[in-house]
Amino acid sequence: MPDRGLHSPGMRDFGPAEMRRFRAVERRFLDAVEGAGYLEIRTPTIEPLHLYTAAGTLSPQALERVYSFLDWDGWSGERVVLRPDATVAAARWYADAVRAGGSSTARVAYVAPVYRFAVDGDREVWQCGVELFGPAAAEGDAELLTLAATFLRGLSGGDFTVDLAHAGLVRAAFAAAGLSPTQQVEAYDLMLEGDAGVTERLAQAHPDQAASLRLLTGVDGASAGYIQNLRAAMLATVPAAAAPIDDLARTAAALDGTGVPYRVLAATARNFEYYSGVTFRFRQGSGTDGRTLLGGGRYDGLTQTLGGAAAPACGWGADLLRLAEVAS
Amino acid sequence: MSASTRPVRVAVPRGDLRTPVGERLAAAGFRAQGYLEGSRTYRFDVDGIEGVQVRVFSDQDIPIQVALGQYDLGIASGTWIDELLVRYRHDSVVPLRPLDIEGETLVVAGAPGADLASLAGAGIVRVATEYPQIAHHYLTRLRVPDYRLYEVWAQAEAWPPRDAELAIAPASAVAKEGLAVLGTVHRSGVWLIANREALATRDLSAALGPLLSLARATAEGGLVDPTPLAVTRGTSTVAPARERFRIAVPDGHAQRHTVAALADAGIAFPGYEATSSVRYPESGDPGIEVKVMRPQDMPRAVALGHFDLAISGRDWLRAFLATFPAAPVTELCDLKRSKYQMGAVISEDLPVENIEEAIALWRRDDPEFPIRVASEYASLADEYARTRHLGRYRVIPISGASEGFVPEDAEILIEGTETGTTLRANRLRMIDVIMESTNCVIGHATAPEGARGARRAEYVARLRAAAEAAV
Repeated sequence: MPDRGLHSPGMRDFGPAEMRRFRAVERRFLDAVEGAGYLEIRTPTIEPLHLYTAAGTLSPQALERVYSFLDWDGWSGERVVLRPDATVAAARWYADAVRAGGSSTARVAYVAPVYRFAVDGDREVWQCGVELFGPAAAEGDAELLTLAATFLRGLSGGDFTVDLAHAGLVRAAFAAAGLSPTQQVEAYDLMLEGDAGVTERLAQAHPDQAASLRLLTGVDGASAGYIQNLRAAMLATVPAAAAPIDDLARTAAALDGTGVPYRVLAATARNFEYYSGVTFRFRQGSGTDGRTLLGGGRYDGLTQTLGGAAAPACGWGADLLRLAEVAS
Repeated sequence: MSASTRPVRVAVPRGDLRTPVGERLAAAGFRAQGYLEGSRTYRFDVDGIEGVQVRVFSDQDIPIQVALGQYDLGIASGTWIDELLVRYRHDSVVPLRPLDIEGETLVVAGAPGADLASLAGAGIVRVATEYPQIAHHYLTRLRVPDYRLYEVWAQAEAWPPRDAELAIAPASAVAKEGLAVLGTVHRSGVWLIANREALATRDLSAALGPLLSLARATAEGGLVDPTPLAVTRGTSTVAPARERFRIAVPDGHAQRHTVAALADAGIAFPGYEATSSVRYPESGDPGIEVKVMRPQDMPRAVALGHFDLAISGRDWLRAFLATFPAAPVTELCDLKRSKYQMGAVISEDLPVENIEEAIALWRRDDPEFPIRVASEYASLADEYARTRHLGRYRVIPISGASEGFVPEDAEILIEGTETGTTLRANRLRMIDVIMESTNCVIGHATAPEGARGARRAEYVARLRAAAEAAV
């Protein structure tokens, strides 16, 4: 770890020039999303740990990177965390609002720092994002993807590609290969880290699943044709893949309408456990190694996990400082 | 002395592990003079091996000492190594070899008949443990939606079923307490560990050679990943209200003083004697329950509302309140026994008159030198460092063998002393008094109502009168 002098590792100051860029991008983000009907909310920096421990919120792997501690009144054994994620708190806000008689459809936006341990790089990440509660997947996913594409075009001129995936599709394939929920998360994390061997090991252990696993994780889809191939390869041995493939096909059609190039990849978004549907990642440039500008997906089970009414939900978030770097 | 020129430092455990570790070291030709024989000194040379120094620590302190780089190599239980690494997995400890010495298995346990899924689905689950990081790791993987961890000093197994639903504790202790084992949390062994940077930059071969010849365990053990529970968040939030008046009395050093204080007040609890006790002594009154537990854990238990009265030490109450100033627990009566002074202890050889001069001396060559403050009372050590403006400092939590820390492994020790004899024997002196501690009666900041409140007032009045009469 380099000597950071009087700074805590992973933390930094913003000088006047950086703040000017920060505020400019923040303003453009808020203008874009407020224009689409998304209203800004703010949630606390310190949250109870148990907001994130139930299944479907943060995975155990993500929980290992949160900043948790006992507050000054933590004698009751209740730990608190520095906000590791903005979506879960937004879902809590929505559940409370509906309980208090609010509308079952809500469009919200936020700009807030999130805190996660990282060996290198920032541990405080300023995130901007939106959450859409209420509309079903068919219209909700299309609305969010269009909003993201419009915002990024306005910000950086439109040089980006979208990676699509479906958490349910990967989950169905892994479950058919005999992996427990915990093993699914671990295998997914390995895929995210670029370990191609994880799929091959599974394919060899489960020859009947080999074609679907190799097609799903070994081939990058680039058109609606790929999704049809997935359907042909998977449905015979993984019937649970039917609904996820339908979702993907619908989302791909929506992107076709916006003219944004896309690929279909098995592993895109982190926090695998709380996503229930299509996930997406907007990456800079048209190649395969561009930096992620924005990511998100569908998490229909989250509000219910938090004790609220069941509600379709999806959202996306972006590292505001990274957006500032690419802003034109 | 710089790290590159000092001897290779090896940390070895005291307590139950001392004999098996000592025997294996001797068999491997790594004989630390007096270690196996139980010498009371803290540091040993090694027969026939130059430039190697061995130091005895409490088992749980060894991974921290190695992680800090104060010791290059160490031998410690896998549970304490994983208690550090499960949270600080990027830390600088490298587990080198599991040794053929049996360790304790940690289990999750509850009342006979309990099951994890029902408890987790009902609502908040209270879990007592000495291993909060391992417990946190296990419970998040088990997918318990909402739990509270009671980080206790010892005897976590004594908390269920009345004061917690579950304990995560050694299997042998759980069996003695009559609890049911509901799952395995950690399979431990004893490990040889090393500091990562020392391995990378220093020649440790004089010690590493013989230590790596120690017989290896056949299995590595370690953390157990449970199958996640498929339960949703329940609605229960608090334990049911109780009718009985509950008193906690201490075991350990404070036991005989407490028995005497109770006797002076005309109170006796058969089963709680000066030198022996059972977990639940008799009170002679079905409306009163007496429990024996560690005095360190009493302030939390009282704040949680588990007990109406407890007899603890002012040191533990103050240490608890230094961590949790808003906790609703307070001293009700001074029993004036077991008196000692708690303060900042430094080396007797340091030519200074006060702590300010000591700070100046430590920082003479390096203004950013981090002053190390070691203590069993980590919160008091932190409070002392803040209030005495130590600047850049590092609190080193320890769990025993404290007199051996200064000056090699810490600049300051926050420690208690009754007569000063032990300090002088170790060439130490107290330079700052933080507090005078005696044992005392503590209770919830808000007195209970009704019969429990009346009983509390009566007990406090009797104990206070007896304490004042004894002065």
